[in-house]
Amino acid sequence: MASSDIVQYKTPARKAVDILVGVFLTIYLIWTLLTFVMMFVSSFKDLLEAFKLPEIGDWLGVTLFFDFTPTFRHYENLFLDKNFGKYMMNSIISAGGSALISVVLGSMCAYALSRTEFRGKKDLLFWIISTRMAPVVAVMVPLYAIFRNFELVGTLPGLILAYTTFNLPFAIWILKGFFDNVPYSIEEAQMCDGANRFEAFVSILPLVAPGIGAFLILCVLFGWNDFLFASIIGSGGAKTLPVATVELVQPQNIQWGKIMAAGVVTTVPMMFLGLLVRRYLVTGLTMGAVRE
Amino acid sequence: MASVSIKNVWKYYGETAAVKDLNLEVLNGEFLCVLGPSGCGKSSSLRMLAGLEHISSGDIHFGDRRVNDLPPKERDIAMVFENYALYPHKTVFDNIGNALKLRKVDPNTIQQKVERAAEMLEIKHLLQRKPMELSGGQKQRVAIGRAIVREPELFLFDEPIAHLDAKLRAHMRGELKILQRKLGTTMVYVTHDQMEALSMADRVAVMHEGVLQQYGTPQEIYHKPVNAWVAGFVGEPPMNFLDCELVQENDAIQLKHSTFSVSLLPEQASIINSAKLERKVQLAIRPDEIHINGKQSAESIKAEVKITEPLGGDMLVDTTVGKEKVLVKTKPDFTASMGEECFLSFDKQRWHVFSSETGLAFF
Repeated sequence: MASSDIVQYKTPARKAVDILVGVFLTIYLIWTLLTFVMMFVSSFKDLLEAFKLPEIGDWLGVTLFFDFTPTFRHYENLFLDKNFGKYMMNSIISAGGSALISVVLGSMCAYALSRTEFRGKKDLLFWIISTRMAPVVAVMVPLYAIFRNFELVGTLPGLILAYTTFNLPFAIWILKGFFDNVPYSIEEAQMCDGANRFEAFVSILPLVAPGIGAFLILCVLFGWNDFLFASIIGSGGAKTLPVATVELVQPQNIQWGKIMAAGVVTTVPMMFLGLLVRRYLVTGLTMGAVRE
Repeated sequence: MASVSIKNVWKYYGETAAVKDLNLEVLNGEFLCVLGPSGCGKSSSLRMLAGLEHISSGDIHFGDRRVNDLPPKERDIAMVFENYALYPHKTVFDNIGNALKLRKVDPNTIQQKVERAAEMLEIKHLLQRKPMELSGGQKQRVAIGRAIVREPELFLFDEPIAHLDAKLRAHMRGELKILQRKLGTTMVYVTHDQMEALSMADRVAVMHEGVLQQYGTPQEIYHKPVNAWVAGFVGEPPMNFLDCELVQENDAIQLKHSTFSVSLLPEQASIINSAKLERKVQLAIRPDEIHINGKQSAESIKAEVKITEPLGGDMLVDTTVGKEKVLVKTKPDFTASMGEECFLSFDKQRWHVFSSETGLAFF
């Protein structure tokens, strides 16, 4: 096999570009990471400490940011007084449940669409993805009306259903690409070996596992990070972390410490999930693009 | 083990007929090769046997069991695919044992059977590997192992060795034939490679454009092609065709070409007489049934050497007779340079005459 590296020669222009890229990446890294660092550090500070800011131009004042006595008060407060444990559970159930349903239904639907030919298949595929084309806000009002009729507003099943409405079309489209890349003869061989259609479908699932894994994560992220659905359809009984966080902003009292702590609580699980499946996510999202 | 009978089978894909009125009887334990160029309907036929395609009309019987409406798993067949279709995430052992596992055979028996199959195919040392780590020939053996471990009633092979290199292919031809004889299982083998068909099969079915052209032993296919298409398709290098006219001269019937005229043998003339005397015909003769000579002899035909192609043990000589190309296979000691005159004489016992109109053979 030929090396997949791109052959490059060091010209002065190339070196200059390398340096520029390095500078840009450094700035970008600071820009993105700083917010997380601020959030993380501030969540362990008292209100007074959190607002201790150095004078403009006083670069040594940076140490002020780290000059504090750590306190777990905000976290205690969140989970003991503010019921964040329940909200976290709601987030996990709604995001995870919707991701699971989307992937199960989506993979079956994608498999069917990948393996069969019928008149109007392209139109059907377009119709499926077209449900994702309207902005969420546009469908919110009718969706709310429908959900209220079925008494789904403020319930976890309602929230799961709402997320699934948006995840499923996406799941079908992405997973269809993965199924298209699995040679049909593998299932045919399974069927000759004595499997029925469903067993044959199950037998090729390991081959699309990267796609399914990657997509599961995307679905979880969509649900986990969602605010709009959660605040309108989930309001009341199915409050999730983002909505609960916003409620910490009160007209006369913005509870910065708790907000920061809530931010950490919301972010950290997804970061770990990201690290855990990073390998899948990368191979998963690029694998469907090229044939072997 | 089972005999296979295919009766009046048609296969349509939308409006196009891929297989037209196919009739075949395969005896119990027989090795049948279905031979034809790509798109001739041979794979469709095989897939109908496997149950991977619906039969548009007609009947397929295994023994006395009508299988038209049975799914593949109930037909008791094992199929080897052109691209091997191994399960990439499973080891060789699991690949071979998959069918038994699906049938809920107990693990000890699976172990035993897989090992025996692996031994037979000389892949026992590869059992713990994944297909990705195997060479083409090894993958192919695994695919065959997966088929034989089942001990099915019928083997279906879909161009299984088409992707191997020439040397390995020649080796596998012999091995497959031995394997089939050893197991004694009925086998239907689809190929576009006439060497495979002629060398392995008990009987060969030649298909073209969805229609069965000829069904017979390899000898019959090679020596008695029923029409010009079969004659032209089977044989390497391919048969020479020359447009001629049949002319009655005294008692004899002459084949009259624009540049030469040769007489038919008396028994051949009698066939022509009894059939309708047709004027336009094609004279067909294989390159190795033409003798090439520098000197003229009785009934030899003048030709011009275009190029010589030494093939080691043989020599191919491209010649032209009038405006038509005639390929001759001769011994490597023949020497001639481009444009040189030479003389061809035909082995009349072995030549064929086909009607230009219908393509059917007179003899």
